[in-house]
Amino acid sequence: MKLKRVLALSMAAVLTLSMVGCGSGSNESTAVNTNEEAAQVPAEATDDAAEETATGEKAAVDGLNYVDIVLGESYTDITTTIKWISHRTDLIESGAMDTYIEKFNEMYPNITVEVEGVTNYADDALLRLTSGDWGDIMMIPAVDKNLLSEYFVPYGDLDSMKEVVRFVDQWMYDNTVYGVASTGNAQGIVYNKAVFEKAGITAIPKTPEEFIAALQAIKDKTDAIPLYTNYAAGWTMGAWDAYINGSATGSGKYMNQELLHTKDPFKDYGDDTHAYAVYKILYDAVANGLTEEDYTTTDWEGCKGMINGGQIGCMVLGSWAYSQMVDAGENGDDIGYMSFPITVNGKQYASAGPDYNYGINVNASNDNKAAAMVFVKWMTEESGFAFNEGGVPIDMDGEYPELYSAFEGIEFVADEPAVAGEEDILNELNAESELNINSGGDTKVQAIIEHAANGDKTFDEIMNEWNEAWTGAQETAGVEVTN
Amino acid sequence: MSAASSQVVQAKQKRPFYFLKWAKSRKGQQTIIIVAFMFIPLLLLFTFTYFPFAEMFKFSFYKMKYIGPRKFVGLDNYIQVFKRDDCFGALKLSFYYIGGAMVQLVIALYLATMLSFKVKGGNIFKGFMFFPYLISGIAIGFIFKFFYTRGFVFDTVLQWCGFELENLPYWLKDQRINNISLVATSVWRYFGQNMVLFIGAIMSVDAELYEAAELDGANKFQQFRFIILPSIKTIVTLNVILSITGSLSAFEPPYVITSGANGTGTYFVIMNDIAHVSQKVGLASSMAIVLLFIIFVATVLQKLFFKYVMRDEEDENKRAGFRREKSLVRYRKKRGA
Repeated sequence: MKLKRVLALSMAAVLTLSMVGCGSGSNESTAVNTNEEAAQVPAEATDDAAEETATGEKAAVDGLNYVDIVLGESYTDITTTIKWISHRTDLIESGAMDTYIEKFNEMYPNITVEVEGVTNYADDALLRLTSGDWGDIMMIPAVDKNLLSEYFVPYGDLDSMKEVVRFVDQWMYDNTVYGVASTGNAQGIVYNKAVFEKAGITAIPKTPEEFIAALQAIKDKTDAIPLYTNYAAGWTMGAWDAYINGSATGSGKYMNQELLHTKDPFKDYGDDTHAYAVYKILYDAVANGLTEEDYTTTDWEGCKGMINGGQIGCMVLGSWAYSQMVDAGENGDDIGYMSFPITVNGKQYASAGPDYNYGINVNASNDNKAAAMVFVKWMTEESGFAFNEGGVPIDMDGEYPELYSAFEGIEFVADEPAVAGEEDILNELNAESELNINSGGDTKVQAIIEHAANGDKTFDEIMNEWNEAWTGAQETAGVEVTN
Repeated sequence: MSAASSQVVQAKQKRPFYFLKWAKSRKGQQTIIIVAFMFIPLLLLFTFTYFPFAEMFKFSFYKMKYIGPRKFVGLDNYIQVFKRDDCFGALKLSFYYIGGAMVQLVIALYLATMLSFKVKGGNIFKGFMFFPYLISGIAIGFIFKFFYTRGFVFDTVLQWCGFELENLPYWLKDQRINNISLVATSVWRYFGQNMVLFIGAIMSVDAELYEAAELDGANKFQQFRFIILPSIKTIVTLNVILSITGSLSAFEPPYVITSGANGTGTYFVIMNDIAHVSQKVGLASSMAIVLLFIIFVATVLQKLFFKYVMRDEEDENKRAGFRREKSLVRYRKKRGA
């Protein structure tokens, strides 16, 4: 008993001490790491220590570069074990992860991959990252971009990476890429094909008018609820904000760069684009009675079965929702995914963004770094992971899953990061204006439904209020307004 | 004796003060315990109540988020609280909750009176009616979300009673009645607890009084009006004050059932939104301070009101006693004469 207690106490002491270490600065924690490694792998200790000083250059000197790796040819002589911590506990439990690794071992039999699933990933990963004890590959959590080089191995420079991989600027700093996405999500609309067919809709609507007309047709010709708002869940309403960038403007710069400086971003642009058109679809649908009768008692869990069973025509949700709707009942084949009905200058776009990215431990041994990068490249190009997940392919030549069949000719637009020095402005404007775009501003979208249903405010009045709030915030924050 | 006298001698000689020795002595222990008993609760009260409150008061003068730089803005936040229509607009909803509180007190008082007389299965009824108070507010929220859903529990029950579904309103959607629906859940939850408090008070009424009243031919209502009500005046007053203060800070029903949307956002829900979604901590703090003052004022007004009402009755009694004594004196004088 006593021994146990002493052990537990000393463990606690060690843990607190190590935490203190990370708190005081990442430099220290990396230093601790080298020491640990030195103890474990004495032969490589000197190499590693040298590497600490110039990681970026070293990687370049070694020629370890994502683009240059040829799967099946590069680094086949490495025999090592790499450890990967992943957020996909579901895939690890179902054994799907093991299948991927087995396939990988057919090509690289000497590289053993160990996977560890972490349930509370976003928080735990950050702790593990600062403690340094996490293996070789991790899904990059929310770290500051200027710290990327302290934790992760660069995959290569932006220009060369852009050619082969999608969404590279998510974890890019100083033109160097530190993360490769595991899969990508696109923003569109989940719909029930059978309901659309029954309503006589043959072509997928491309403009707000066509979309409203389609909803009207569903209401007239079927018993289904044309558009289910999921008002009561709240976050499902805030999800509408995800369409005002790429989908509504066709510009990857809109969200993080242009919106900040736009005068009255919610004004009517007159061509059915921009935020105005996005929210107007919602307002019009509610005002015309094309949504559920009682929006205050919508049920998120229940809606999955309802759309699967043909009681709902469509819902505005990201592509991640598609597989959930398919799995929710017997009619999974009826579920389809289409792009948001906005056409910008004759072309349709879809907001898209990366899921978690693979990052490689900068403190791993050279062999492990190479093995890890080989594995990441294999996961991206050969595993079919993104495809199986119903995601936008990360590999530029990758195949789109079936659900994007309706996305032919539609360009995916990912948000570009904010201009240096303006990273915090969007947050500030969001808080100041209380619109909280893409950051939990559910109530403002809920209010659109309320006003539409009660008819106590026109859509233009709501948008004018938003514009006023935005302008006020821009003034308070001292942001330069360009047009 | 000798020890005591030597102590006196020591004290007189002003020997150097040894803390440890003093702490071990009876007097020292007494002092230490007294100070500790006083100091520890005060310390806890200070650290967990007054210090955070002072911090919040300080925050209310800053423009700040939870993290990041803070900027002193003086009374700007307070000015905004009075300027924004959502803050005081939300306070109007409190009238719904105050109304609900009154209904709740009347129901509770009525049932308490009933149950304090001999009733078959009285304890079972008490149990059933007290039960909602034991359920967590969050769970109640979820119960009523389904209860009020179109065509679900409530509508079904009403249809059994002969109502047509088309004639029934949308309980949470219709902005004219959704606040009443929410208040009803809070009445449902708390009337049992109020009732138990009232029963406790009524139990302390001397049973002989009922007997005497019955002999005098008083009916049950008269017994309630002239015996029970005056005896439990204090607890009624307390309940009224608590209910009204609670109404001003209503939070759970709107937050869980409607998440404050659709015109049901009470002052607290709005404050929560401002503090946590928009992260305007300074503004939310000043809202809290303003509400605190409103509650202060409301409480003081109620106290004055009840004091006025009660003093009136006591004065009457006093005068009555005075008059009686006077007449007695006169009577004695007469007899004496």
